[in-house]
Amino acid sequence: MMTWRDGVRLAFHGMVSNKLRTLLTMLGVIIGVAAVIVLVAMGQGASSLVTSRIETLGTNVIFVSPAGGTPFPVSEATVIARALPFPTIVVPEMNTGATVSTLTASGGAQVVGTTPAYIHIGAVSLAAGHFLTPLEMTQDQPVAVLGANQVQTLFGGSNPVGASVMIMGQQFRVIGALNRVGQGPGASQDKDIFIPMTLAQSLLSTTQLSQITVKTPSPDQANLAADYLTNLYTNTFGSANAVTIASEDQVLQTLQATRATFTHLLAGTAAIALIVGGIGIMNIMLVSVTERTREIGIRQALGATREDILLQFLLESMAMSLSGGSVGAILGVGLVHLVPVLWKTPAVFSPNALILAFVFSTAVGLGFGLYPAIKASGLDPIQALRYEG
Amino acid sequence: MIRMVGVAKVYPMGSEISPILEDVTLHVPQGMLAAIIGPSGSGKTTLLNLIGGLDTPTQGQYFLNGQDVSHFSREQWAHERNRTIGFVFQSFQLIPALSARDNVALPLVYRGVAPKVRRAQADQALEHVGLGHRRDHRPSQLSGGQQQRVAIARALIGDPALLLADEPTGNLDQATGQEILALLQTLNRAGKTVVIVTHSAEVAHACRQVIQMQDGHLVRVAQEMERV
Ligand SMILES: Nc1ncnc2c1ncn2[C@@H]1O[C@H](COP(=O)(O)OP(=O)(O)OP(=O)(O)O)[C@@H](O)[C@H]1O
Ligand SMILES: [Mg+2]
Repeated sequence: MMTWRDGVRLAFHGMVSNKLRTLLTMLGVIIGVAAVIVLVAMGQGASSLVTSRIETLGTNVIFVSPAGGTPFPVSEATVIARALPFPTIVVPEMNTGATVSTLTASGGAQVVGTTPAYIHIGAVSLAAGHFLTPLEMTQDQPVAVLGANQVQTLFGGSNPVGASVMIMGQQFRVIGALNRVGQGPGASQDKDIFIPMTLAQSLLSTTQLSQITVKTPSPDQANLAADYLTNLYTNTFGSANAVTIASEDQVLQTLQATRATFTHLLAGTAAIALIVGGIGIMNIMLVSVTERTREIGIRQALGATREDILLQFLLESMAMSLSGGSVGAILGVGLVHLVPVLWKTPAVFSPNALILAFVFSTAVGLGFGLYPAIKASGLDPIQALRYEG
Repeated sequence: MIRMVGVAKVYPMGSEISPILEDVTLHVPQGMLAAIIGPSGSGKTTLLNLIGGLDTPTQGQYFLNGQDVSHFSREQWAHERNRTIGFVFQSFQLIPALSARDNVALPLVYRGVAPKVRRAQADQALEHVGLGHRRDHRPSQLSGGQQQRVAIARALIGDPALLLADEPTGNLDQATGQEILALLQTLNRAGKTVVIVTHSAEVAHACRQVIQMQDGHLVRVAQEMERV
């Protein structure tokens, strides 16, 4: 019986005896393992954003939005505020896409008509200036607060407070700039421009809201508020389905679940790549067994047992897939650090992905190496010695 | 050393079965230098493969060193070959990717001998066959006679009691063949039982027991005394 050390030595000897072929074969595993690590990291990155959103926004926020053709006038905000038996911040919003410009730049924006209370929801924070004030509201002043992307595209990142922008043909004065929210799972406010709601009504010539955000003092009250509002709209429209009532929590949970599915999908894709790599290994090992038929016969004649031959070829396929796995892991970890720089999407490296990749490549080496190894060990010594290759 | 009683070997060839060996009864005592001769296709190689356990008899009994090995499994034979049998083939059967030294050391790999010890013993065995200076050469860098000597060194390294050689001089010129024969004779004098399959009258003449095969039958066993 051959020792394990000799088995491993033999496996590496077999590997380096045909370097180019080994490298090409390993490529499948390298790509597969790198893909597992990178794609899982990207999935995790997306999930971590969801988590951080929950943390900043809290879970005491609910959203009410019209479903289908339900009328949802501005006055609804007052209806909602009155319906709830505890103090809440009720913020109406009407949104539209529009072209905005300065003298030197222009671009697309999401114009949001809202009330001063918007800032208290906690979804955004000010980088400079101030948010809409009640006075500006009542006086219908043409003032605007810019999201971080708008500051970048319209003003090249410099402080825009005091400058003016053209929104749908009307001039607005910039009173504030927001901090970057980042590419979140929900809508990002970075492309938004906030203007007084009263002004938005005349500018967009509508009184229909796109959403009302309700913030309650505690998460429990948010659930209670959701129940109250469901009742309210069932009584008003005869069906709770006329509006969509969702707590921030729910929205994010749903997104989280979507992200998880996405991660699994990515991991699955990567796993397929690994399996394809495994088939490559099997293919080459079968070729190798055929090429070395005579060698196998010689070894058998000199006292190699079935196990010895099995071990020799199994260790060789494992050496190949594990070497490929190691190279793939290094490549993958490198790419994880490159992804945020290249594509501006977050990627969170997880050691679990590394473990997964190693377990996978070991399994691939074992699984796809087994058949060729069994084939080799089952050769008849006389036939093998006579083989003309 | 080798005792066979009524041994037969049959290969299933499609529907008909063709006996390759029939009713072979044979005794090769320990320390013998024996030759197996006979026309091509008479079953010499088949008999040698049976003796070495590369093949198993369909029928009959085989005792090796007093032990009944008729029903040995492949694993048992692998161990037996590794410990007590050394093979020398007509076509050398060296592994092309390995150096002479690594080829020679191969039987020790399957005994679990440490690399250092293996190397030292392989060098010694190569020295023994006069190839100490060629130990790092690949088989393709060696002449036929040198390759056969490497193969003999490999057969020797495990210090087996029995050496089996299938036409060891068949692929060599006469002078080189004589060298190989002399080497095998020396080994026999040192106490090893040697069985040589050969077409060469010269080789057969040098042996003390001649086993003659014909159409799968053992037709004659000549001992030295009778031939003198
Ligand atoms: N695996 C096999 N299947 C079927 N027939 C076989 C097989 N191996 C050998 N034979 C047949 O057995 C017979 C004896 O073969 P063997 O190789 O023993 O002859 P030999 O005496 O060694 O001949 P040579 O001197 O040419 O080497 C031949 O007719 C051969 O065709
Ligand atoms: Mg023959």
